Amino acid sequence: MTTTSAESEAQIEEYGDCAVMITIRSADAELRRRRIVEVRDAFAAARPPGVTDLVSGLESLLVEYDPLLTAPDQLRHSLSLLGRVAATSERPARRIFDLPVVFDAQTGPDLEAVANELKLTVDQVVDMLTANELTIVLLAAAMAPMMSGVRLPAPVARQAQPRTNVPAGSIMIAGANAIIQPFPGPTGWRVVGRTPLTIVDITQDPPVSFAAGDVIRLRAVSPAEAAAMGGLLKEEKHG
Amino acid sequence: MAEIAITVTHVGWRATFTDLGRRNAEISGVPTGGAADQHSAAVANILVGNPRDAVLIEAIGDLAFVAPVATLVAVTGAPASVTVDSAPVDQWTTLVVPAGRELAVTGAHGALRSYVAIGGELAAPRFLGSAAPDPRMGFKQEIKPDQTLALRCPSAIAGLSEKTQIPFCFDVPRLEFPGGPWFIDVVRAAEVDRVPGIEQLLSDATYTVKPQSDHVGVRLAGPVRHPPGPEIVSHGVPIGAIEIPHADDELIVLGRYRTLTAGYPIVGIVAKTDLALVGQLACNTPVRFRWIERAQAVERAVQHEAALAALERSVANAFDAVVKLNGWWW
Repeated sequence: MTTTSAESEAQIEEYGDCAVMITIRSADAELRRRRIVEVRDAFAAARPPGVTDLVSGLESLLVEYDPLLTAPDQLRHSLSLLGRVAATSERPARRIFDLPVVFDAQTGPDLEAVANELKLTVDQVVDMLTANELTIVLLAAAMAPMMSGVRLPAPVARQAQPRTNVPAGSIMIAGANAIIQPFPGPTGWRVVGRTPLTIVDITQDPPVSFAAGDVIRLRAVSPAEAAAMGGLLKEEKHG
Repeated sequence: MAEIAITVTHVGWRATFTDLGRRNAEISGVPTGGAADQHSAAVANILVGNPRDAVLIEAIGDLAFVAPVATLVAVTGAPASVTVDSAPVDQWTTLVVPAGRELAVTGAHGALRSYVAIGGELAAPRFLGSAAPDPRMGFKQEIKPDQTLALRCPSAIAGLSEKTQIPFCFDVPRLEFPGGPWFIDVVRAAEVDRVPGIEQLLSDATYTVKPQSDHVGVRLAGPVRHPPGPEIVSHGVPIGAIEIPHADDELIVLGRYRTLTAGYPIVGIVAKTDLALVGQLACNTPVRFRWIERAQAVERAVQHEAALAALERSVANAFDAVVKLNGWWW
């Protein structure tokens, strides 16, 4: 599972007096993204002393630390040790979430434009988005699940003019990733649909039911069906 | 312990509960947040015998409240007029506010935020273990006029009589706000080389705080250079990261509520011990940057921690002495 080959070597750079940035030296984007998830999970499990928080990027990990307790050289050492330890099987089994989504012009104002850019019909785009599982790679701002696995013929460009107020529950895509808007707000992603379920509820503990590594399967539903749905997104009871 | 109801009598602009922020939250997409000026918040708490990360009040603008019993209060942050029933009292010290007297903070100037700590535990809602607001997630923690704040505090404090004078005199590390440009120490980021000329420019130019600044970032007007290459994949950044956005003549110092960067270059990171100053930058304040080495920044952090620890010991000793002299149970 882990490798010390030069091709996927993790490197650490100083980033101010309270953080270091870990990236993967590789020409293969898929490998960079996979390996940084392994590094993050290893750091999160090992909790080296002095580390105060971790911030995930798609291809990077920012390790924030207390400069009174540790230093970049010690974190470099932790990284090299963690790289030699085989990935444990202690990770909780990934959970699968079924997400009903209304894909239409009202919920997905960018759906038609995305279809046109890809030279597909809207129905074809919806079929592709619902065909396979999407894996949560990291939790982005406001705990939004950022997912990989979008299988469209080409990466989707970001919105030229970001939208200022996209409703909560909006399903959005950019590049080969998808994300769900947890609260109303601005975005540069392409809005292609909306789920009637609640993604984040700050009155719940924990506020979200999912974590990085879990899987979401989009399922197209009609507006009428969606109107009868609601509540917090929860794990599928079977499967 | 006593359970006390404190009445907020005046809020000028905005007051919220806060503390030093949420731990282990950024891995879940929630920023650390918390008091923008962590130094003033920590000192206020220490002065009233609270843990540094206890719940306290952060205010922009005026604030006033009354308690039915005596309370220990400390006011730090922006220079302001602090009164107890209109009699002037000091900031950056431990105040014994007698029962029924209104503590008022008004006329804050020269910096943005006031911090008010009250000895004891302020009851406040929590999200992910912290009372700090998170506006993006709808956790506002606003304190409104006429609101009642619930405080649990040692009965010995609540029972302090009006005549009790405790001349607390501590060596308090105060945050000083310059009259002219504020000098902010910055550690170089590796990406500074991606933007030719920016290092010298940041050293030489004066920047001015723009009104569009907020808890996510302080926007500064002034000369910048842009990188020749494309944007990079978005990534996490530390608090205090200095980002060069697309716009001409603007840079952003990212604050405690920042998210992933949008791919703009990060040319430097404000030293930890100067983040408190950044958290106090008000509109139109002139700012100058000074490059320092990481080792110097760490040295300053060590000295800062020593000063706070010394204050904690002084306060604990003083409170112990007061207890012994008065035969109280603390």
